[in-house]
Amino acid sequence: MPAWPEKRRWIGSRATRLDGPVKVTGAAKYTSDVQPEGWLCGMILRSKWPKAKIRKINLDKALKVPGIKAAVLARDGERTVRYYGEELAAVAGASKQACLDALKAIEVLVTPLPFVVREEDAREEPAPRVWEESPNLSKPSVNEKGDVDKAFTECAAVVEGFYTTAVQIHHPLEPHGNTVSWNEAGVTAWSSTQGVFSVRDGLASHLQVPQNQVRVICDYMGGGFGSKFGPGVEGGLAARLSKAAGAPVKLMLTRFEQALAVGNRPSSFQKIKLGAAADGTLHAFEFENYGTAGIGSGGATAGGGSGVELHAPYIYRVPNMRVKQSAVAIDAGSARAFRAPGSPPSCYGMEAIMDELAVKLNLDPVELRIKNDPSEVRRKQYRLGAERFGWKEKYRKPGTCPGVVKTGVGCGGATWGGGGNRRARAEAQVNPDGSVEVRCGTQDLGTGTRTLIALIAADTFGLTPDQIRVEIGDTRFPYGNDSGGSTTAASVCPAAYDACTKALAELQERTGVSDARGPNWPAACKKLGVNPLVMPGQWQEGLSSSGVGGVQFAEVEVDTETGFVRVRKVTCVQDCGLVVSKLTCESQVNGGIILGIGYALYEERVMDRHTGVVLNPNFETYKLPALADMPEIDIVLLDMPERGVIGIGEPVTIPTAAAIANAVANALGVRVPSLPMTPARVLAALGKTGGPA
Amino acid sequence: MIEAKPEEGLSVSRRAFLKTFGVSAAAAAAGQLDAVAQELSNADTEKLHGPGAVPITLNVNSKTLKLELEPRVTLLEALRDHLGVTGPKEVCDRATCGACTVLLDGTPIYSCSKLAIEAQGHAITTVEGLAKDGQLTPVQRAFVEEDALMCGYCTPGFVMSVTALLRKNPHPTPEQVKIACAGNLCRCGTYPRVMKAALKAAGVSTASNTEVISYASLA
Amino acid sequence: MRPFAYATALSPASAPQLLGDDGRYLSGGIDLLGEMKEYIAEPKVLVDVKALPGLNQIELGDKLWTIGANVTIAELEDHDGLKQAFRGLQQAAAEVGSRQIRNVATVGGNLAQHSRCWYYRQRDVYCLKRGGDTCYAREGENKYHSLFTGNTCISPVVSNLAVALAALDAAVIVQRGGKLQRMTIAELYAKAWDNPTAHNSLDHGDLVLKVELPVQGRRSSYLQASEKAMFDWALVSCAAAGRVKGDRISQARVVLGAISNVPHLVQAANDLMEGKVLDEPLADKVAGLVLDKAQPHSGNGYKIPIARALIRRTLMQLKTSP
Repeated sequence: MPAWPEKRRWIGSRATRLDGPVKVTGAAKYTSDVQPEGWLCGMILRSKWPKAKIRKINLDKALKVPGIKAAVLARDGERTVRYYGEELAAVAGASKQACLDALKAIEVLVTPLPFVVREEDAREEPAPRVWEESPNLSKPSVNEKGDVDKAFTECAAVVEGFYTTAVQIHHPLEPHGNTVSWNEAGVTAWSSTQGVFSVRDGLASHLQVPQNQVRVICDYMGGGFGSKFGPGVEGGLAARLSKAAGAPVKLMLTRFEQALAVGNRPSSFQKIKLGAAADGTLHAFEFENYGTAGIGSGGATAGGGSGVELHAPYIYRVPNMRVKQSAVAIDAGSARAFRAPGSPPSCYGMEAIMDELAVKLNLDPVELRIKNDPSEVRRKQYRLGAERFGWKEKYRKPGTCPGVVKTGVGCGGATWGGGGNRRARAEAQVNPDGSVEVRCGTQDLGTGTRTLIALIAADTFGLTPDQIRVEIGDTRFPYGNDSGGSTTAASVCPAAYDACTKALAELQERTGVSDARGPNWPAACKKLGVNPLVMPGQWQEGLSSSGVGGVQFAEVEVDTETGFVRVRKVTCVQDCGLVVSKLTCESQVNGGIILGIGYALYEERVMDRHTGVVLNPNFETYKLPALADMPEIDIVLLDMPERGVIGIGEPVTIPTAAAIANAVANALGVRVPSLPMTPARVLAALGKTGGPA
Repeated sequence: MIEAKPEEGLSVSRRAFLKTFGVSAAAAAAGQLDAVAQELSNADTEKLHGPGAVPITLNVNSKTLKLELEPRVTLLEALRDHLGVTGPKEVCDRATCGACTVLLDGTPIYSCSKLAIEAQGHAITTVEGLAKDGQLTPVQRAFVEEDALMCGYCTPGFVMSVTALLRKNPHPTPEQVKIACAGNLCRCGTYPRVMKAALKAAGVSTASNTEVISYASLA
Repeated sequence: MRPFAYATALSPASAPQLLGDDGRYLSGGIDLLGEMKEYIAEPKVLVDVKALPGLNQIELGDKLWTIGANVTIAELEDHDGLKQAFRGLQQAAAEVGSRQIRNVATVGGNLAQHSRCWYYRQRDVYCLKRGGDTCYAREGENKYHSLFTGNTCISPVVSNLAVALAALDAAVIVQRGGKLQRMTIAELYAKAWDNPTAHNSLDHGDLVLKVELPVQGRRSSYLQASEKAMFDWALVSCAAAGRVKGDRISQARVVLGAISNVPHLVQAANDLMEGKVLDEPLADKVAGLVLDKAQPHSGNGYKIPIARALIRRTLMQLKTSP
């Protein structure tokens, strides 16, 4: 059974990110930076109607705009569009200006149809049906255990709540997009993607080109968070434009489009009832949730990572429970998997009701968690974290903080899978001059994949990371799975390690050098003569596993006159198996927490019920947390090297909003039951609406 | 509303305007008047440029570059699409995120909200123009050492904002770093380390906020 | 953006001539270019006014300070003298946008900026302010909108500077039809009270030249409440100014922003403070008068308690500010 090296100099070190220098100098070429010879600009015309029958689209005038080389329809024939922003057509031209003018020249003949864009409206009958053949609200799935109605009567305390979360947009800073060149030689696509192979296969299928004629490249990309799998409609359009124009077409989406059409996290509307014995042991749980994944919801569509379903009762086990979940369709862009799909809202609702229970039973919230948490790892994390955070000193009975600005504390726990994909491959090449190349068709979204591979190769060969050339993001390289589910490290690291250990063994065998590592390396490689050594590797059992916990604590202060919430501190205790690269791992934790802060306090997609448009398709009114909004962040990584590499990207964003929401409730003595907890919502919870009676 | 007093001039001739609203110091006023008078006599300088493409000269990272662009082309677009200077990124195109930050005569601005035609006659510095002879600047080195970057898409913008801050104020407080970086967004989560990097480049080391503890050692 | 011709005006007289019927002045460009990118504004000519001589100075005088319309917000923010003499204005400037915006945005542009209402700014919604039939905010999403208006449009004035300048009795010198007009801040925005399509009282071709600040020995302060800590529009902004002698206040003004189509002040509230002891009970009475007749909509009632708090805090700040 393979094992990570006992002596690790680079694995687990604070080595800096391999691609740091190219990123800080602007030398790194992202998908949006790639400019093949003769490239054209591509742009999409989108529906400005939330629901309409598209009768005819006339591209003639667009094609006559100077500089325009091609124009295509998104789909032929009459069709129905079901959200503001759905693709209608696309153009390619010599400049952005030509494309803008061409879009304005496209004539669209439509019959607008009735639409519905809010969950509460869509649930009611009769609401306009998003999908004609099914009602907007799906039939609930029901999951029952024990006898929940009887169990409630046995409880010493029963608490209820109704909690909602908003639709959150991924908003990676680099938009979705591709530069595609489609000619007789095949299809080459530079793609901003989390899965070069998913783009390759998607394009091959959509364009009806054999997979071996499609190459996808993604050297550097600016974030995905779950939204960038497959070529997307925009990738197919770029390819078709390229074929029609006879030139590469770069089609990157704008921020406006990012807010409409390339994914989001579904909303939730959670009605929860929880009962327990006097000592806090959970006994009865009733849960009803609906939410929307846009047109990806309701009776007619599939879920698949973007689903509305939550995990209830999240990390806890309750012997008597009834869980009912449904999804409601609205005329809005479909959801897509978004960093820990389903989990932040699940954790938020569950940890909120747990805190209400703690208050009712007059138990310490952390003690209540420890009592009911089935995971030994998490229980230890709560104890360690509570002490480090200063829980005992900071905790006060809810709402008892004096003064206008009230402080409060809260906590929450998470679980995640991660784990490795057994199909991951890699290739190591050792050159006669001692230089090393490691290749893998995986991606680095900013997660540090490139660096992990270099550290592993360095430790295997006894070299330094800068002696390793890591090449990723090309479907010509050995297969790497999509970067999702926090599985990349656990997939790619074992594969790269396997390739390197096999390469080392082969080098030693071929050259007769018994230990070619470290100081012996140059001489051993020289013995290769003129032939480099190329060794494939694949994922091996024993180097990774799955299943992590994680807990977070938050301290907030709330200005009860302005409703402004400031997060003072977040303490995170997280396990992730073997830490391969400390710096990149810690940065992932920062990132997950910051995303959670946005989810808790600022981010929501706002739909207008009368016009059906997205009202905040920009960063002015869809608000991301900024440097000035940062709390003190305290991170403890629990090193569990015996578990191998697991993955950390998602678990660390799950409990943040839950902890912050609980801290706000603790500060105020009342619950702000909806995320994001904007000043308007905080003041409403305090009864300070100042509005009409 | 009140009509301005008669001595301020009923009809505003150019010279009368300059006399009333020009710089108070007489010498400076005279100098300005001379310079402006010279310009005023040159009818070309108030002419309309465009709407079609016109010759535009940009000074980018100390190089003089000539282009033919429509007036509606932004500086960001000129840099990226017409000059291949792709360090500044297009993320929002609406002056909300800072990824397009460049220095105009040393001052950080959003290049997405400056027309290329307006940027003529100014020294434009992009992230590519910072490192000399392949050596990272102290700010760039600090970003790498503190891991103040992840996907890196926001990084050129942050590097420009922090560089401009430290050139103006070599010893900023954390509050001043927040103000300088308030116009830069990141989605991956680099903010805590951007702060550390900025302070490090200013010679201030900060405590680490992370610890690795062996699980086996916990009770 | 639509195609346009670009010209640089070298004198205030030629600026409106270059503008024609279909042009817009280009100053910092943050507001204008944003409108143009959404096709809300489609001028055929942009007249760059940044080269107009003498408009980029802050001039200190014993009786009057003059701030040229082309002075950038950053220059206001960094001006040491301003921090002392007109602290409220400096505080208001420091909260405008981000540093990158303040480095190019100008005083004139900030005062003249157009509505930030998300219906007005939505490229595919043709609202009342844009010349359509409906104020969608009234029955729609209005959490950022006005508590006071004289017409159907409830898009609030958002200029931080306008609020601070109103509290300081500033005047704005505007060139209109070749003549110079002096307008109070109230006059500068009055048209937006009655006219739904107006953002302020400026007509096509009007050129803001400078702001005049009378030196009156008053202290001033400015605060705003937002959703984020920095680089965020105000939910409510408030400026206060007054002469403070001992524990009493006179010549006091309190002005609210982001809650009315014009900078909001109530004379009775200002009169109430004359000669009184400056304390919290007085501030609360003032707030009551300022907010009397506020008409919240479905989503913006929360602004009322915020406004009350900001009025108290800015007034109390006068006790200690320069």
